[in-house]
Formats: sequence, C-alpha cells, structure tokens
Amino acid sequence: MIPGNKDTRDGIAFSLPFLVVYIAFMIYPLLSGLYVSFFKWDILSSASFIGLDNYKVLFTDEKFYSSLWHTLQFVLMTTPSLLLVGFLMALAITGKSPLKGLMENVFFFPYIFSMTVVSTLWAWIMQKDWGVLNQVLMMLDKSPVSWLTNENYAMWSVALTTLWWTAGFNMVLFGAGIKQIPKEIYESASIDGATYWQEVRHITIPLVSSTTVLCLILQIIASFNVFGQVYVMTGGGPHGTTRVLVQYIYETGFKYYKMGYSAAMSYILFLIIMLVSVLQYALLGRKENT
Amino acid sequence: MKSKKLIIRTLELLFIALWVFPLAWMLITSLKLEEEVITKTFTFWPQNPSLANYIKAFTSTYIVNWMGNSFIVSLFAMLLTLAVDAPIAYAFAKIPFKGRNVLFWLVMGGMMVPFQVLIVPLYLQFNSYGLVNTLAAAYLPRIALPIGIFILKQFYEGIPSDLEEAAFIDGANRARIFFKIIVPLGQSAMATVIILSFINAWNDFLWPLIVINDTIKYTITVGIANFQGTHGTQYSLIMAGATVASIPQILFYIFFRKKIIAGIATSGMKG
Amino acid sequence: MKKRLVLVALVALLASSVLFAQAAAEQKKEGPIEITFWSLFTGGDGEFFDAMVDEFNASQSEIVMKNDMVKFDNYYTKLTTALAAKTAPDVVVVHQGNLLNYVPSGSLLALDSYVSPSMLADFQKAPLDACRFDGKLFSLPFDVHPIVMYYNKDLMAKAGVTKVPQTAQEFIDASLKVKQATGKWGMAIDNTTGVYKAYTLARLFMSMVAQQGGSLLTADAKAPNFNNAYGEKSLKWLQDLVHQYKVNPGELDYDAAMNTFKLGDAAFYFNGVWATGTLEQTAGLNFGAAPLPAIMGGEAAWAGSHTLAIPVQKNQDPKRVEAAITFIDWMTSHGEMWAKAGHIPTRKSVADKSEMKALPYRADYAAAAAFALPTPRTAAWEEIYGTLSDKLEYAVTKNQNPKAALADLEQTVKNIIASY
Repeated sequence: MIPGNKDTRDGIAFSLPFLVVYIAFMIYPLLSGLYVSFFKWDILSSASFIGLDNYKVLFTDEKFYSSLWHTLQFVLMTTPSLLLVGFLMALAITGKSPLKGLMENVFFFPYIFSMTVVSTLWAWIMQKDWGVLNQVLMMLDKSPVSWLTNENYAMWSVALTTLWWTAGFNMVLFGAGIKQIPKEIYESASIDGATYWQEVRHITIPLVSSTTVLCLILQIIASFNVFGQVYVMTGGGPHGTTRVLVQYIYETGFKYYKMGYSAAMSYILFLIIMLVSVLQYALLGRKENT
Repeated sequence: MKSKKLIIRTLELLFIALWVFPLAWMLITSLKLEEEVITKTFTFWPQNPSLANYIKAFTSTYIVNWMGNSFIVSLFAMLLTLAVDAPIAYAFAKIPFKGRNVLFWLVMGGMMVPFQVLIVPLYLQFNSYGLVNTLAAAYLPRIALPIGIFILKQFYEGIPSDLEEAAFIDGANRARIFFKIIVPLGQSAMATVIILSFINAWNDFLWPLIVINDTIKYTITVGIANFQGTHGTQYSLIMAGATVASIPQILFYIFFRKKIIAGIATSGMKG
Repeated sequence: MKKRLVLVALVALLASSVLFAQAAAEQKKEGPIEITFWSLFTGGDGEFFDAMVDEFNASQSEIVMKNDMVKFDNYYTKLTTALAAKTAPDVVVVHQGNLLNYVPSGSLLALDSYVSPSMLADFQKAPLDACRFDGKLFSLPFDVHPIVMYYNKDLMAKAGVTKVPQTAQEFIDASLKVKQATGKWGMAIDNTTGVYKAYTLARLFMSMVAQQGGSLLTADAKAPNFNNAYGEKSLKWLQDLVHQYKVNPGELDYDAAMNTFKLGDAAFYFNGVWATGTLEQTAGLNFGAAPLPAIMGGEAAWAGSHTLAIPVQKNQDPKRVEAAITFIDWMTSHGEMWAKAGHIPTRKSVADKSEMKALPYRADYAAAAAFALPTPRTAAWEEIYGTLSDKLEYAVTKNQNPKAALADLEQTVKNIIASY
C-alpha cells in the first residue's frame, strides 16, 4: 500500500520505545515471578527449588478456592450491573432530557477519585452504628443493617461502591457509541410507529455491540483484579467471606512469607483472566460479524 | 404523556442526588468535630462547623509535600506514557510489519497481569539501579499502559490512509508523517490517554508505598492511608484528608472536562 | 518540533531528578551522624513516639534520628522488601512475635557484642529473653503490651455492681445486671473483621486456654493443642456472651467496639494497653483499668511486645551501629514517655521514676506483664494468628458447635504448620 516498503524497519522503530519499557517493567519481572513460582522462598532466605509443588498444593488449598469463588462473586455482581447502569446512563445523556449535561458530569465525576478515598468514604457511609445510611434507615423506622460486617451484605456493599465509582466510565463509552448511530435510522423507525423501548432494543443495542464487547472485557479484567476496595472496606471479612484472590495472593506473599506460592497463584489468576478474555472475544466477536 | 415525562425527570433527579450525596457527605463530615461524628445523637449538618480537621491535616502532616509528589509522579507518568504509547499505537494501526498481531496481543496481555506478582522482582530491580526511595521509581513502572495503546490504535485506524499516502508521495518518511499528521489529528485520543494515565498514577497505592521510604516523599494516597490507626478511625479527619487529596483531581476535571469525556468516548467508537 | 523539544526536556528532567536524589544522599556525610528509623506507630502512639524522637534529637548533638512512619498493615511488606534488598533503615521496630520471620535468614544483626552488660542488666528478664534465639540476642524490647480489661465505673454503679468481675460466671452476672438496669451492653468484645481482623477473639481465646493450664500450641510450637476441654470452655463462653446471654453485641468490629466503650454503651471492654491513651482523652468517660482477670481460673494474658532491632546492611558501618544502640538505649530508658501511650516499659530503672508513678491507670495493670504469654516460636505464627481470628469469628457469629469448630480449626492449623 505504501511505497518504499520499509514496514518492518519502521514497525520495529516505532515499537521500540514502548517495548524497552515494557520488557523492563513488565516482561522481566513477570518472568522472574514465573521462575519464583517453582521455589519455596520467604523473600529473605535463599530459595529452594521444589518444581511444581506450589501448583500442586494450590489445587488442594481450600482458601485458594474460596478466595477464587469470592472474586468470581464480585465479577458476577459488578459486570452485568456496571454494563447495564452504564448503558442506561448513556441513554439518559444522549436523550432529550434538559438535565443531560448535568447528568453526564455528575455520573462521571466519582471516577476521578482514588480508590482509597472512595472506599474510605463508603466504609464511613455504611458504618453500622454511626454511618449515615443506617441513620436514614432508622429515621424511616427500619432496623439498621450491618452493611460491611454481615456476610450476606458485605460483598454487595463493595459491589455497590464500585458501581457508584466506575459506572460513569462505561456511560461515556456507551454514550460515544450511541452518538455514532445515524439519526435517520431512528427517524424511519419512529415513522413505522416503533416505541422508545423497541428502538432501544432493535436499533441501539445491536449497533453498540462493539462498545459492549470493549466494556465487557475491560470490566471483567478490572473485576478479576479487585483488591483495594475490598481490603479497605471489609478487610476480607466477615470471617473471610469477602477475601478475594488478589488479597490472598498479597497476604500469602507478604504477610506469610510464601513468595513462591503467592507467585504460583498469581499465574493461575493470570491464566484465568486470559482464558475468559480470549473466550469472550472469540464468542462475542464472532457474533458481531454475522 | 406529561406524567410519564414527570416520572422520568424525577427519576433522573433522584439518581443525580444519589451520585452527588456521598461526596457532599464527605465534605459535611470533614467539617464536624470528632465528638459530633461518633455520637449517640445523630445530626446531619455540623452543629459547630469547624476547620479543625483541615488545620490538623495541614499542620501535623506533610500533606502539601504529598500532593506535590503525587503531582510530579502523575505528570511524569502521563508524559512518558504518551511518549512511548503513541508511536507503537501508530505502528499497530498503520504499519503492516511482520509479527504485528502477535506483538499486539502480547501487549494487551499485560492488562491482565495481577500487579502483586511484579512487586518483589520490580523492587529488587529498582534497588539495583539505586532508584529506591525516589519519585522516579514511583512512576516508571506505570508508563507502559496497554489500555492507552488500545485507545490510540483504535483512533489512528480511523484516520484515512489517503492522507498518509499523499504525504509519502511528497517524499515524507514515517517519522514526519507521525509528527505532522497522526499526532495533530489524534489529539482527542491523546487527551484520553493523558487523563487515564494521570488518574492511574495519582491513584496508585501499593507500589509507591513499598518503593518510597521517607514520609516526606510519600504520594498523597499513601500519606492519607496513615490517618487510620489502632486508636480507632478518626472519620472526620480522614474525610478532611480525602477532600484535600481530591482537590487537584477536581480542578483537573473542571478544566479538562470536555476533553476527558470526548477522549474516552473515542475509544468507545468503532475503529 | 515542539513535541521533540518537550521530549528532550522530559528526558533531561528525568535524569536530573535521579541525579539530585543521589546528590542529596551524599551531602549528608558532614556534621552529626544521621540514622534512620521506620516505625509502625500511627494515631496516638505515633504522636507520643514522634515526641520521644524529637526529645532524643534535642538531648545530644552527635546523632540525628530521622523517623518515617508506615501504616501497620503494610509495614511488614515494606520492611521485608527492604531487608531483601539490604536497604532497610538503621533501626526498625519488629514485634516480638514476628522476629522469627527475620532471624533465621540472617536479616537482623546479633546485638550481643554491642550491648553493655550494665544496659542488659536493666532490662526485665522475660521480655528480654523473648528476643533471644539460639542464645543470641537479636533485638531489645521497647515495651510489653498485654491485653487488659477496661471497665466503666458509672455503668457499674448504676447497675449496682460493686466488685469488678473476675470469673466467667461473674462477668455474665454483672453484664446481665448492667443490661437490666441501664439497657446498655455488658461487654464489648469485637467479634468481626473491620479495619482489623477480630484479633481480640484470638487473644482472649489464647489467654483463656492458658488460664486453665493449657496452651494454644504444643511447647515445641509444632502442633495445635487447643482442641480439648480447655478450648471448648473458652470458646463456649465467648459464644454465650453473644447468643445465650445477649450481653455482647454481634457483628461488632474493632473500631465499633472501642467507640461503644468510649460512648459509655458497654461496661466491660478488652483491648491491648494501647487503648489507654485514647480512652483517657475521652471526655466524660469514667473508667478503670485492670490486668486481664482470671476468667478461667489462672493468670495469663496474651501480650505483644514492640522490640527494636538493627538490620544487617551490605556494608555495616560500626559507627552507625553504635549510634543505633545509643538511640535504643535512650528510647528504652525513657519508657515513662512511651507509657503515656499506655504501653508497659521494659527497663527496671523506669519503673522507679516519679514520672512513671504519676501516670494514672498504668500502675493498675503493670502487674499484667508478669503473666504475659510469649508468642509461640514458629515462623507460621502470622498465618496461624490470622486464621485463628477468622475461624473464631465464624464460630462466634454462627454460634457453631464448639467441638466441631475446634476440630476444624485444629486441622487447619496442622496444615498451616506443615506448609512452612
């Protein structure tokens, strides 16, 4: 397509700055991590080679399974709700509401705050005895709820916080997708007598599907790697029912000094995320093309 | 019809209120005294509004230094991210070199790595460069941002190839095309990457905590985490710290609001 | 063109920031020796500690101590990475219970040849011995902080409880009286995870097992030893307070427990001595402090101990080690200042100081140091402690059958020990 075919040379030249950084700060430490996962190592003493033992232990470790399950719960709680709320918000800000400008700003705003600030703030709001949420409930003559210290609510509370925090990001992505849909399609549909929700269902949703795939993949990766919100808000409690895998990886490595085991678990998590992402891309990407 | 509209407006207002309230509550709590926060008789508004928590945050901690540090870290992270992400995104979008797809997926795979696994190797690496306890150590591992590449590539693919071809015929090389055509046209996508990397670096917690030793060199997220202790959490003080810590981001947002949203939006468009 | 200029400027800035950092590091050679220190003291502890360091720096002109603070949860992560790279500061705090994570790898300096016999003789024997491993001394105890009891005198008076309860049954009776007369909680034992795990449950459980003559782990710390009548009785009591007698709130986390007691909503409260500093600053709270009562008959109480250690460096400078020892000597022998935070000092000479005797509450529980339980000597302790807290939290929250709970816990602890 382009004369003077120096594609390979140029391709490498333009990739080089990034690749240097990427190899230094990602690939190299990642491979070191892989190497470590075959050792029993407490970070301080010399490591002893144990082959695949760390990986074998992992499959019999009850805490590994429960942590993975809690992570999965979080993924299942947040992914659909974040996509749905983000999409509904996008509909609102691309519609005819006089409030759409305000909504766009207000819904996106929490996203700029740091994890520490957001989690501490919500932990305070949801505090059982002095938090404003229960105070409001009590004014309405309802009994207060242990948002963060009851196993039935704790993970939902963290998920709710995450929803408030990041839904705006998805809103902006969906909003852009919706704005790209030609107006004529909607016009001809309404001439045919389609209701608003019919339009959404038959025009908007199919035409933003590439955005949906993007959101879905980003969301799943983010949710699988969840750690900060949980750690600050519930500390993994009550009695370990919100301990997510990344927290367990962190504790095993840095609190219990089992670096090799911690690295092995990281690799399994990495594999899981990759598998899920590739699967999604393959399944949803194909559907989109047909 | 009218009543339906009314319901929708009410619903919208309700959601706006729900989204604004937590932040308002942060501000309200920060103006209360501790005795008024942990109390048997709940009051919504501060009975004796006081700046005591802010005064304490400013006088008994290094909060100003922390903000300065966070600013430096985020600024460098953002500029360097752009400097390395934009060229490779261009290569992915427009240069059909051998191994491009493999390389692309290798880079995207980086998004899926749990950062915890990198900490110890990274620390030992930075130590051998003598960079532990410097701000450079806090931002360097943050400049390889795969999502930034994805966003830029998505945008560059949308730039018509005719422009490039015309320039080639005029005898321009790729470097010239990149700086003269791609970079100016891709500004909105670049704005997104700038913002994402800024937010990303500003919010980073575990890595700066480990790699920076001097309290005075902490970033703000690490610094305010120290407000929590074994003596019971002082909520109003933490809320004051959190409010102060968020001011730069709020200003950043107010000034670049349009660009931020427009930029993120481009990545949601079809390539 | 502009873009390229920006790039060049950036690289220059980057390089200079690194250079400046190095230059700044080298400048420090002149004048008094500057040594560095990491502490994990935040909140009230931190304020008292910083004041001590300031006074140390003002008291002499040879040494300047620079103190940096790290939040407790992340302190050991940071310390471990720094020790691995041999970049740790000159002096560090290590809990006595965590020493075993650092001693075997040779990360801490053996102090025997640096500490004078007269200084050693001034330390109380038990906390000092806890810092010895294979006959060598690896740190010096800065304090002992056992779990103690705090009681609200006003609530007790209102309920007509005239004697501070001692035994399991007395606690239940007194708590019921308080509840009946005032509608407040009898006890405030935290039993769920919040900012911290439900460590109080683990601390009480460990203490109560020992009070009956048992021990949490066997003497060689190689196996669990609590799945027996001692363990059952202890766990049952903790559960009954919540479920049978309903005198202790459920789903109560560390912060909430402390606030409940501070607000005068509970009569009896158990926490480490570090709570004293905060409680005495609470307006309108009329409370007393006492060593952990012999709830299960005997005297024993969980205790932690902050110890000061010197990390091994790549090039250990004897002058800096000497300065570090001077600092440790000063800090421990001014324990009366540290006692303001509630902790029990470890130097014999401190106990006789008039400033020490003038502090309220401290004398009331100083006796607790005598029956402080040492942390079991196993590298697996941190994981056992955390798991114990989680599982006891579950058992108390769910009112699980104590036998089943302990059997499960025993198996888990066995697995943990085997994995090290």
